[in-house]
Amino acid sequence: MLKWFEQADQVRPGVISSRVRLVRNWNQYVFPSRLPQKESMEMIHRLELGLKDLGTLDGKTYEYLYLGDLSELDRKAMQERRVFNSTVASKKTPTGLILSEDEGTGIVLNGTDHIRLQVLSPGLHLDELWKQCDQIDDFINSRFAYAYDNKYGYLTSFPTNVGTGMRVSVMLHLPTLSLGKKFNGLVAEMGRFGASVRGVYGEGSENYGSLYEVSNQKTLGLTEKEIIDLVNRVAQQLLTQENQVRRLALEKHRLEYEDEAYKSYGVLKYARRMSAKDAMIFLSRIMSGISDRILKMEKDCPVYPLMLGIQPANLQKISQRPLGKEDLDEARAAYIRTALPNLQGM
Amino acid sequence: MLCERCKIREANIQYTEVINGIKTEHHFCAQCAKEMDFGPYTAIFDSEFPLGKLLSGLLGVDEEHKEQKTHQVICPTCRTTYEEFIKNSRFGCLDCYGVFDLLISENIKQLQGSDTHKGKHPRYHSGQESRSFSLDDLSEEKEEAEDGAGGSIDVKEQLRILDARLHEAIAREEYEAAARYRDKIRELKEGIEKC
Repeated sequence: MLKWFEQADQVRPGVISSRVRLVRNWNQYVFPSRLPQKESMEMIHRLELGLKDLGTLDGKTYEYLYLGDLSELDRKAMQERRVFNSTVASKKTPTGLILSEDEGTGIVLNGTDHIRLQVLSPGLHLDELWKQCDQIDDFINSRFAYAYDNKYGYLTSFPTNVGTGMRVSVMLHLPTLSLGKKFNGLVAEMGRFGASVRGVYGEGSENYGSLYEVSNQKTLGLTEKEIIDLVNRVAQQLLTQENQVRRLALEKHRLEYEDEAYKSYGVLKYARRMSAKDAMIFLSRIMSGISDRILKMEKDCPVYPLMLGIQPANLQKISQRPLGKEDLDEARAAYIRTALPNLQGM
Repeated sequence: MLCERCKIREANIQYTEVINGIKTEHHFCAQCAKEMDFGPYTAIFDSEFPLGKLLSGLLGVDEEHKEQKTHQVICPTCRTTYEEFIKNSRFGCLDCYGVFDLLISENIKQLQGSDTHKGKHPRYHSGQESRSFSLDDLSEEKEEAEDGAGGSIDVKEQLRILDARLHEAIAREEYEAAARYRDKIRELKEGIEKC
C-alpha cells in the first residue's frame, strides 16, 4: 500500500502536505511524565484494547505497536516520515502507537501526553483533516473520559498545548520567496498574526530544500475553526507571494532558471556520491523545475517522497543494510539515480 | 558602520533579532537604541536601570518571594511542586491546573494570549471532569507534604501567595495584573473582617 506522501496531489504546486494534530489526556491517570512504568503499560494496553475497532470508523487498517518493540532504525525512519517527533522517537518509557497502513493517521499513546492524534495528507486540505480528526476524537472520547476543564479546555502536559490541544501545520515549498531580503520580515509579520513559519530541513539559520512549515502558535482562546482558518490564510498568502515572485523571476531570468533546473537534474541523475544537504538543494530545484514546466519527465515524479527517502534512516531501510557515512552518500546517489525518471525526448 | 536609523552617528550596538528561527541583524547607535522599543530589553539602554534586576525579572526569579512561595504548593495527586512546574513548564496531571491555577493563570494568559477555552467540548463523559481544586482542598495534603510545619492553606496562606504574586507582577511592571491581585487581596481581607 502506498504511504500518504506517495499519493501525489498535483492540484496546488508548492504545497507539500497538511497536518492536524490533537493532544488529549485520559482523566483516570496522571500525565506520562509522572506515570509509573507499570501503570503506563496498563494504560497503553487499555487504550489499545478500547480502540481495537478504530478501523470500523474510517475503513482504514490499523497496526497496534509498542515503540519499545521497534528497532532504533525503524523508530528513526518513522520520525523522518513524521509519524512522531524526536522526543517520542528517543523516549525510553513505555509508548504505544496505533498507525494506519498509509501512515496518514497515527495515535501515539503515552508520549508527552496520553493521546496524540495526528492526520496527514498531501496538498492543502485542513478542513477535511480536521473533520477526520474530530471524528476519531469523538470515537476515542466515547470510550475514554478526557481531562477537561471548563476554563482551560483540554488539559495537557505542556501549557503550550492547553485549550484545543490542536496544532495545525502546512508544509510549503518556497524556493524563490525565501531567497528575497524581505522574507525574514514576512515571517516576522506572520508571527504577529499568530502563525509561526520555520524551516523544515537544515541547521541553525541554514535551510536546505526551501521547505517551510506554517503552524499556529496558540492553542487556547481560539476555536478549532479559527485556528484552521488562520493557518490556511497564512499558507495561501505565502503561496500567492511565492507564485508572484516566481513568475516575475521566470520572465526576467528564464535562461538562468532553465540552466539551474537542468544542471540539478543532471547532477541528481548522474552523481555517484551525494550528501543529504546537496541532495535537498538539487531536489528542491527540480521540484520548482517540474512545477514551472521547465523539466518534463517521462512519468510523474513526486519529489517529496524522494526528499524523505534520502534521509539517513529511510535510506538505510530502502537499501536494506546498515550504512556508514561514506556508504550513505553513495547509497543516496544510487537511490536518486534509480528513482528519477528520464526527461521527455532525451 | 553608521547607525541604520539616524545614519549620522557611528553604530555601536548590534541588535540580533531571532523570530521563528530566522536571524536578522541590526546596527544602531546608543542614542537611537535608547529611543526605540526593544520590548523587555529597552531597559538595557537606560543607564539608570540596574541590569541585575532586569535579568531576574526576565527569568521570573524574585529571590525575596521565591523561597516562601514555592516549596509549599504541591499537587496532592501527582506530587508535582510549583518549583518543578516552573523548571520544566510541564504539568504532572489534570489536577495541577486547579492546584496551581492562582499561580499560573497570568503566565498562561501571557503565553497563549488568552486564559479561556473557546473550542470544542468533549461530547461524552463531560460530567466526570468537574474535579477542579481550589486552594482550600489542599489542607490535608499540604500538612503531609510539609511535615506539618505550615498548617492548612487557609485564607492567610492564600493572602501570602497573592501577596507574592503581587510583588512579582510589580517587579515585572505588569500593573494590570498587580491591580487584580491587589483587589483579590482586598476582597479576602474584607472577608476576614466580616468573620
